[in-house]
Amino acid sequence: MKKILIITAVFILGAAGVGFYLSQKPVPSVNDLKTDFTVTATDLFAEYQANEEAANQKYNGKIVEVSGVVKETKNNEAGQPTVVLESGDPMFGVICELKEKEQASKFSNGQQVMLKGECTGYLMDVVLARCVEK
Amino acid sequence: MFSLIALVFALNGLHAQKYFTREGKISFHSSAVVENIEAHNTSATSVVDTETGNLEFAVLIKAFQFEKALMQEHFNENYLESDKFPKATFKGALVNKADVNFAKDGTYKAKVKGNMTLHGVTNPVATTAVFVVKSGVISTSSEFNIAVADYKIEIPSLVKDNIAKEVQVVVKADLQQLKS
Repeated sequence: MKKILIITAVFILGAAGVGFYLSQKPVPSVNDLKTDFTVTATDLFAEYQANEEAANQKYNGKIVEVSGVVKETKNNEAGQPTVVLESGDPMFGVICELKEKEQASKFSNGQQVMLKGECTGYLMDVVLARCVEK
Repeated sequence: MFSLIALVFALNGLHAQKYFTREGKISFHSSAVVENIEAHNTSATSVVDTETGNLEFAVLIKAFQFEKALMQEHFNENYLESDKFPKATFKGALVNKADVNFAKDGTYKAKVKGNMTLHGVTNPVATTAVFVVKSGVISTSSEFNIAVADYKIEIPSLVKDNIAKEVQVVVKADLQQLKS
């Protein structure tokens, strides 16, 4: 009887431990997540422009590796570092919000890059969050 | 929203009175008995028409960042159902447009009224905002509370002590005139 109680107690503590660990787990780095789509910035932007609803279903919440040419960068000091990729549209593009450790300053305009991040949708640009360079 | 922005760009030559950003910061905070919840979004778009006093904000739900993975998951999957409702928007106007002189550097207190659409539900919102005009940049900030239930956001009774009934929203945006 005592043995059963001890085993049950250990099991419950173990389960509680796992539960606590899961509840405190930070948002994972996109590097540790499987890539759902690899696409060019131009194609990604075109898909959202053509049919936002369909593109939402396909890409929102998914991990996307996007390749493209850097249009502009914004640095840490001004707030969230971002890299904007050319999309073929003169005014709008694909915005990649960089993960804190990534520096926007290491990218230069006109550079061809591959960034991996979570696609969050389309306002006037397609917005990817937690991006890292691939 | 997109059609308004397209119109804004089309009219840019005639009315250079529209200010815009795509890096607006929106945060929300919930203090409850069991835990505090906080999330930040740094990709809100905003347009202010200084001539009419109209203003609009739009934000992607999936772009809100939380510290804990489980919170971000529950927020998107269970509470806001962001697959169904990917955006939240606010469309409104300054109530006291005469008190705010966008052409002159200064700090102005404004009353704003409009409609907020969140989780597919639209409700009227009235709040105050501060506009700081300096060197061609309009910085706006505002804080207001929203009641979770007003937007049909369902909190299961199991976690009702983890999430406050009213959530505090903080908005900060620096808008610049559209370049032609």
